[in-house]
Amino acid sequence: MTLKSYDQLSSLEIDTLREIGSIGTGNAATALSQLLDREVRITLPEVRIMGYNEAIEWIGGPEAVTAGVLVKMSGHMSGIMLSVQPLEFVNIVLRSMFGTNVTSYEEMGELGQSALVEIGNIMISTFINALSGLAGIDVDLTVPAFTVDMQGAILAVPMAEYGGMSDYLMTIGGNFVCDGEQVPCHLLLSPDLRSLNFLLRKLGVSDG
Amino acid sequence: MADSKLTVGIADMKMAQGSGVLITYALGSCIGLCFHDPRLRLGALLHIMLPLNMEAGRKNPMKYADTGIRETLKQMEAKGASRSRMTVKIAGGAKMFEISGGGGLGNIGQRNIESVHTILKQEGLRLIGEDVGGKVARTLLFDVVSGQGCIRSYGQKDIIF
Repeated sequence: MTLKSYDQLSSLEIDTLREIGSIGTGNAATALSQLLDREVRITLPEVRIMGYNEAIEWIGGPEAVTAGVLVKMSGHMSGIMLSVQPLEFVNIVLRSMFGTNVTSYEEMGELGQSALVEIGNIMISTFINALSGLAGIDVDLTVPAFTVDMQGAILAVPMAEYGGMSDYLMTIGGNFVCDGEQVPCHLLLSPDLRSLNFLLRKLGVSDG
Repeated sequence: MADSKLTVGIADMKMAQGSGVLITYALGSCIGLCFHDPRLRLGALLHIMLPLNMEAGRKNPMKYADTGIRETLKQMEAKGASRSRMTVKIAGGAKMFEISGGGGLGNIGQRNIESVHTILKQEGLRLIGEDVGGKVARTLLFDVVSGQGCIRSYGQKDIIF
């Protein structure tokens, strides 16, 4: 069956997407671990289908300020991938790479910002590489875009992009645990509906 | 602007009369519209996400500029509001990410602004204040009695309009 909305996903399809999320975030964690030279694990990855306002609450409220790295996918699959990086995550990166700590985003400087963009980009690219290898598809990625702003507005980017098709936001992603410490860093994949249908067919869980 | 604030979500609209402050958080490419009828001390805050409603089902009119504005007008007029007295202020329509080679992504804010302008004109509504475009997210507060709006952004001074 071809999906017309994200909330029509069957439990088998959700399980498959969760597996994709698991492999994707697992690979991203390995990349992050090598970059930071620290042990990085992942928590159980989640597939979430949420209403807009529910999604904003889930990420931790609309007004909290976070850094966001965004990459757009095209090719066999189109969609948006986001790395949402709260200040705790930023500090783990800065401590590991430069031995510094910041109390706000303004303090991190150009070097810190480049490091965040690069780490976001590497995690996203690793995730997508794992996914495209698994499904046997080609996905092109744009250069990463970066912003520091209210996370509600950052999360609204994939909502607005695919809002014409659905009242829901679907995200596949997970959190990271760094040296036993939970790191609040979300890696979120939001495919458009057509691509989601294509991906599920490629993975052999949709007969449409 | 103290006391009780009524929160307007994404693709949502709320009205208040006599007293109260309406608030909507983190407008990125979305646009917040403050409708005000000063005589009735009636105000509505609408949070739209997309420029035009092309959905077949039309389950959620407040998601779109065209159907959202018209539905809000209908509900305000049902409470006795008059278009000749009514004023509108808008905020939002930012571009959160600058993507090279990203196609249409990021232009939604601009398209929202243009659509809102067109529809307000079509409906004969007076736009008396706006803070749109740019690259930063905005939280919008609206006092339904005075008609005053306030915009909060990260790392910037509050704007009263």
